[in-house]
Amino acid sequence: MVEANDILDCRGEVCPYPDVKSKRKVKKMNSGEILKILVDYPLSAERIPETMKSMGNEVLSVEKTDNSEWEIQVKIK
Amino acid sequence: MAIDIVTVLIPGLILGIIFGIILQRGRFCMNSAFRDIILLKEYKLVKSVILAILVAMLGFAIMSFAGIITLNPKAFSWGANIVGGFIFGIGMVLAAGCASGTTYRVGEGMMGSFVALLGYGTAAYFTKFGALNPIAKFLQTETRITNPDGSSLTVFGDLTPIFMLILGGVGIALIAFFWIYKELKAKKAENKAMFDFSDLGIKIFKRGWHWAPTGIAIGILGWFAYISSAAAGRNYPLGITGGWVGWNKFWITGDISALGWETWLVLGVVLGAFIVALIAKEFKLRTPKDGKKILIQFIGGVAMGFGAVTAMGCNVGNILSGFPLLSVGSLLAGAFIILGCWVTAYLLFMRK
Repeated sequence: MVEANDILDCRGEVCPYPDVKSKRKVKKMNSGEILKILVDYPLSAERIPETMKSMGNEVLSVEKTDNSEWEIQVKIK
Repeated sequence: MAIDIVTVLIPGLILGIIFGIILQRGRFCMNSAFRDIILLKEYKLVKSVILAILVAMLGFAIMSFAGIITLNPKAFSWGANIVGGFIFGIGMVLAAGCASGTTYRVGEGMMGSFVALLGYGTAAYFTKFGALNPIAKFLQTETRITNPDGSSLTVFGDLTPIFMLILGGVGIALIAFFWIYKELKAKKAENKAMFDFSDLGIKIFKRGWHWAPTGIAIGILGWFAYISSAAAGRNYPLGITGGWVGWNKFWITGDISALGWETWLVLGVVLGAFIVALIAKEFKLRTPKDGKKILIQFIGGVAMGFGAVTAMGCNVGNILSGFPLLSVGSLLAGAFIILGCWVTAYLLFMRK
């Protein structure tokens, strides 16, 4: 497991905050850095990795950690 | 008057459970669908919505020609359609879910949606029977335009059923060719199987569904809903708002006849979503951390309730069921639901 540079906790957030927040967050980060995103909203858990890919970032892992909880690791391009 | 278990309770509840299963597994929410066109440039859900509308349209046309159902498009009252639709559209962005989206998310354990639903049901009841009723009634009666015989305006008049058949059929063919076939071809180019039926159980119960089967399933559910609902004395396909108004009416007045087909449908949606969310391990009781967001969701729910009753339908009654019937009122209300959604999403999420 790689060490994340930053963690964005979107658990409990309502639609579409997890998506919007993670998009804004990665735009502020530097190339090569790793962001760990925590979400508990199923649609966002599926959509964030796709949005990240289409932004050109690398999705390192999507892991289901608990009931309706996911951990997404993204490497900034 | 007792509840008719055979024609009202059981069919309403079963169709509702199926509706809830499809909504939860397909992540089918029209608020996300319309909002994400401008917000995330993401079109999967809106493709699902369009496909569901076309499948329903084709089925309604065929069933109408076969004499199985009588088409019953909603009325055109431009003032009510515009004002109600626009306020509903604003409300669903604030509530973080449309009428069906908010309902199924309650089954996932999202307490913010539960609070939104309380606001939605209450405001809908106040608008239907209470203090807000004069506003809705004024807009509905003063701006109503009907056919000379008093029936609801549809886009193609007497020819509407034929056009439903053509539009539905041609639309589905175009989607199959331009969206589905292209996706399958792209899969083939990557050397993946076009249809992979391995691990079907996992795909159905553990992962989110693809937009195409989701849309088709909701469209087909609409056919059965129309037949079942008409048999129960409510001649219209799927709807959500009337169901929550019915529950409120029952609890407030004690009138058991308020528990019609639609009340069991919405209860079924919550149950169905709850069951599949449990199986997929996606059920969790959760709230937004910020108390302000819960208040905003409640206000959004209130706006949705007022808007839906004023516009004579929510996103399900007017878009999912009303667009296939080519009702002028539903099309106008739907357009303003989408407009309200876009304006609010822009103001909340897109301004720097």
